[in-house]
Amino acid sequence: MNPAYRKGRVLAVLGAILILIVTDHLNSPTFAFNSGQGNVQTALSQKDESACAPCGAPCPSTRN
Amino acid sequence: MSEVAAPTSAIQSPWQVDRFVVVTALVGFALLGGLIWLETAPFMVALFAIGTVLGIALYHGAFGFTAGWRNLVVHKRGAGMRAQLLLFGVTSIVMVPLLYSGQPGLIGAVAPVGTSLVVGSFIFGLGMQLGGGCGSGTLFTVGAGNLRMIITLVFFIIGTVVGSIHLPWWLDQPGFDPVPLVASFGVTGAIVLQLVGLLLIARWVSRIERKAHGQVASDELLWKQKGQGFWRTLITGRWPFTWAILILAAGNVLTLAIGGAPWSITFAFNVWGAKALQSIGVDMGQFEFWQWEYPAMALKDSLLTNIPSVMNFGLLLGAMLAAGLANRFNEASRNKLQGRPFLAAVVGGLLLGYGARLGFGCNIGALFSGIGSASLHAWIWFACAFGGSYIGIRLRPWFRLPN
Repeated sequence: MNPAYRKGRVLAVLGAILILIVTDHLNSPTFAFNSGQGNVQTALSQKDESACAPCGAPCPSTRN
Repeated sequence: MSEVAAPTSAIQSPWQVDRFVVVTALVGFALLGGLIWLETAPFMVALFAIGTVLGIALYHGAFGFTAGWRNLVVHKRGAGMRAQLLLFGVTSIVMVPLLYSGQPGLIGAVAPVGTSLVVGSFIFGLGMQLGGGCGSGTLFTVGAGNLRMIITLVFFIIGTVVGSIHLPWWLDQPGFDPVPLVASFGVTGAIVLQLVGLLLIARWVSRIERKAHGQVASDELLWKQKGQGFWRTLITGRWPFTWAILILAAGNVLTLAIGGAPWSITFAFNVWGAKALQSIGVDMGQFEFWQWEYPAMALKDSLLTNIPSVMNFGLLLGAMLAAGLANRFNEASRNKLQGRPFLAAVVGGLLLGYGARLGFGCNIGALFSGIGSASLHAWIWFACAFGGSYIGIRLRPWFRLPN
């Protein structure tokens, strides 16, 4: 049976995703902080305990 | 889950593994896991690993919401639906006491009840049947190399971003604040109330099946797969529902214990889409949603510090690994996608994304984790999404999708 995919294509897609993730990380406050910059605010374990929904939406009662 | 990628339970002989896919998935896991370890914190690596195991469980367990609901409506078979109900019940028994144990830093999956929830979950249910999967289903089938589901995922992401821009308007429509059942009934009362609710639905499902077939095939209670040994079943699938139920329940509880909030999937899609738009010069900060504290934090910082994103990466790799072990990677993509099935993936993806944002999540974040948190919104989400799914099932033939 012929393979259902091309190996090169799979590697190219995964490589592209990895590059996007790394690029995003290199431009982030967390990377700046890890590189020794002390004046950046990172958001490890991002959470907002005052939010009313997992996506961070506020409560309807607090809206005008 | 998707209807197109479920591994069959047929005996495959000889035992074949797709070495390229397995090795690629393991290398990907090592690379990304190493990066997360180096740049964030050990608990993020743990969540990444949990995501990977969940991806394996979803694929090998062929654990599906979309197909389970459709099997009930079309074929009058309820094992998949009852497996879901069992999953919710088991999780609720463990997660509700943990959430209300007084341990600081734990946040449940609660959400407002109102127009946004009703409209969003209905749209999401409709999108499930056209797109071919829910949040987790779309993700694990993409991990397993399903090209059609990649189209669905791309439009899912677009839909969530559009939904995020519209959500503030929807929140201004009639609705009220979250209703945690524990506030009215206490921890034990909320658990009992939910178990009774789940039991009643399970009885309704069984009645439909018995009426159509004369008996109930209780596949959701099987512990062993017929015709295969334990190890082969464990490594190549297909897992009995009970295995998947236990692992998914444990995974969600561990996610709460380690990450501070239950398992969610679709918020990550929001962040991916918004970051993509930012990278081409769109100022997402102009939209109210992205000014709220949590989305603003997620947009600003690395994806590697965003728990849903990290777990989704793990899930994708886990599903890829499982598909490689089952020697079925990309198997569902042999037929070229064109015409109306392609249109269904586009429309379904958009509806899934828009609906997930308005409905405060997908089958995992809103339904599974919502019931695990004893939140009223999860039950309303369930009812409305099932209604939307029913319409979606009726629309499938027009899109030339098999029922």
